[in-house]
Amino acid sequence: MAFRWSRWSPQLALVPAVAVTAVAFVGAIGWTIYLSLTRSRRLPEYEIDWSEPLRQYTRLFADDAWAISLKNLIILGLGSALAIVFGFILAAMMDKEKRGESLFRTVFLYPLAVSLIVTGTAWRWLFNPELGVEHALHSIGLTWINFSWLATGETAMYGVILASVWQSSGFYMALMLAGLKSINSEIWSAARLDGVSLFRLYTEIIIPMMKFTFVTCAILLSLGVIKAYDVIVAMTNGGPGQSTFVPAYFTIQALSAKGNLGFASAAAVMMLVITAVIFLPLVMLTAWQQRRTGRAAH
Amino acid sequence: MAQKALGAEVAVRSAPYFPRQKKRISSRSIGIIVFLSICALFFCIPLYVVVITSFKTMEQIRQGAMFSLPSVWTLEAWDHAWNSACSGINCNGLKVGFWNSVQILFPSLILSIAISMITGYALALWNVRWAGGFLFLLFICAFVPFQIIMFPLISMTAAIKVYGNIWGVAIVHAVLAMPVLTLIFRNYYKDIPQEIMNAAVMDSGSFWKIFTEIILPMSGNILIVVLIMQITSIWNDYLIGVTFGGMGSQPMTVNLANLITISTGTTRYNDNMAAALQTAIPPLVIYFFVGKLFVQGITAGAIKG
Repeated sequence: MAFRWSRWSPQLALVPAVAVTAVAFVGAIGWTIYLSLTRSRRLPEYEIDWSEPLRQYTRLFADDAWAISLKNLIILGLGSALAIVFGFILAAMMDKEKRGESLFRTVFLYPLAVSLIVTGTAWRWLFNPELGVEHALHSIGLTWINFSWLATGETAMYGVILASVWQSSGFYMALMLAGLKSINSEIWSAARLDGVSLFRLYTEIIIPMMKFTFVTCAILLSLGVIKAYDVIVAMTNGGPGQSTFVPAYFTIQALSAKGNLGFASAAAVMMLVITAVIFLPLVMLTAWQQRRTGRAAH
Repeated sequence: MAQKALGAEVAVRSAPYFPRQKKRISSRSIGIIVFLSICALFFCIPLYVVVITSFKTMEQIRQGAMFSLPSVWTLEAWDHAWNSACSGINCNGLKVGFWNSVQILFPSLILSIAISMITGYALALWNVRWAGGFLFLLFICAFVPFQIIMFPLISMTAAIKVYGNIWGVAIVHAVLAMPVLTLIFRNYYKDIPQEIMNAAVMDSGSFWKIFTEIILPMSGNILIVVLIMQITSIWNDYLIGVTFGGMGSQPMTVNLANLITISTGTTRYNDNMAAALQTAIPPLVIYFFVGKLFVQGITAGAIKG
C-alpha cells in the first residue's frame, strides 16, 4: 500500500495522537516514576537524594493503610470473581432457554449503564444500619440477620463486593453468552446422544472450550478491581476507619488529602506494577491467539 | 445401542419436521425461568428501592419500612435534589452539575472521536511504517491506571490554563479515551477492502478527501456504537470530573457524591435517591432505547478486537 504522492498526509494526521501518547502517557508515567524517587511533599521537588532513592517505597511498605489496601485489593478481586461465576451461570441458562432472553438481558445489564457513584448511593442506602434492608428484615421477625455490613470494618468490604457483583455480573453474562453462542451446536446433540450428563458436559467440555473467554473475563476483572475507586467513594469513603482502602483510593487520598506527592507517586508506581503483572498474560494471550488465527487463515 | 439410535431418530424427526408444533414447556425450562426471574428480582431491588424512596416523605422514611410504597407520592425530593441540594458550600442543587455535565459532554465527544477516528483511519489504511509498534503502545496505554498520570496531567492542564474548567475535563477525557477508541476504529477500518482504497487513490483521492468522501460515510455503524459508549462513560465518570473540574465545573456525579458523603445535619435520604436517579436517567434512557448498541460498545471497549 505505498501511495507515494501522499506519503506525508497520514504521517501528519498522526501527529496529535503521537504527541498525546508521548506526552500524556509515556512522558507522564516517566514523570511520576521520577517523582516517586524524590522527597516531594505538596509541591514537586526535582532533587533525588541518592543516598536513599527508594525512601518513598520504604515508607509505603511500612504504611499500615497501604497494607490494608493491598489486602482489600485481593479480597475485592476474589469476591468480584463471583461475578464471573454468576455471569456464566446466567449465560448458560439463557443459552438453553430462549424464552424471555431479551427481557432478562435488559434487566441483567442495566446496572452497567449507570455511574458507579449511583450504584454506590443505592447500595449505601440498602445497607443503612437504621432504616435499610436489615431493619426491614428485623421487622418481619428475621432478627438474626446482620445486613448493616458497611457499619463495621470487618464486613464493609463484603458490602462493596456485593455492589460490584451486582454491577458487573451482566457484563460477564454478555461476554459468556457470546462465547457460548460460538460453540458448535452439534456438541449439544452429540452429548445428548451419548447420554452425557449436563453437569459433566459443562465441566468437561463446555468450560474447557471457553477457556479464552474465562481468561479474558478474569483479566478484565482484575484490571477493573485495580481501578476500583468510585464505588468506594460512594459507599464507604474508605471507612469505617481505613478498612475499605484500596490502592486506587489510597493513592488519590495521599495526593489530594495529604498532599504527599512523592509518596503518592510511589503508590501509583506500585499500581502500575500490579497492572503490568496482570497485563502481561493478556499480551501473551493475544499474541498467541493472533498467531493461531493467522495460521488458520493461511 | 438401539435406544440411542431411536433417540437420534426421534430427535431428528421432531426438530425439522414439525416446526410449528407447539412445544410443551418442559420442567427444566420452568426451572430455568424461575431461577432467572429470581435473579432478575435481585437486579431490580436496588432500582425499586431507589425509585420509591425518592417519592416518599422523610416522615415515612423514618418509620423504616424500606420496601413499602409511598403512602403519599410526592415530588418534593425531586424538586429539592434538582434545585437546592448542597454540594459542598453551594446549595443550588444538581441542576448545576447537570449543565456542567452537558457542557463537558459535547467537547469531550467531539475531541475524543475526531482524534481517534483519524488516527485509526491513518493506521489502518495508509502505509505507516511504525504503525504496528504504535498500535502496541496504544494497547498498553489503554490499560494504564489513571493514578500514574494524574499529577502530570494536572500540571499540564494547569500550564495550558484549562485546569479547573470545562475544557480541562474535556481534554483529559479525550486523552484517556484516545487509545481505546483508536484501536476500535482501526479494527473497523482495517476490514475495508483494498480495492476500494486503490480505486479511491486512482481517483486522485488525497488522504483527507478519501476520509471525508468514502470513509466517513462508511463509518455510521461504528460511529453510533462509539458515540453511545462515550456518552455513557463520560456522563458516568467521577474521577476525571472531581480531579480536573475545580470548583465551578464539577459534573453531576461529583455533585451527587458530595451530596451523599458530606452531610450536614440530618441526611435526607429521599433527596439522595432522587439525586441518584436524576444522575442515572440520561444513560438509562440511552440504554433502554438502544440497548443492543450499548452492549456492542461495552464489549468492543473491553475486548478491543
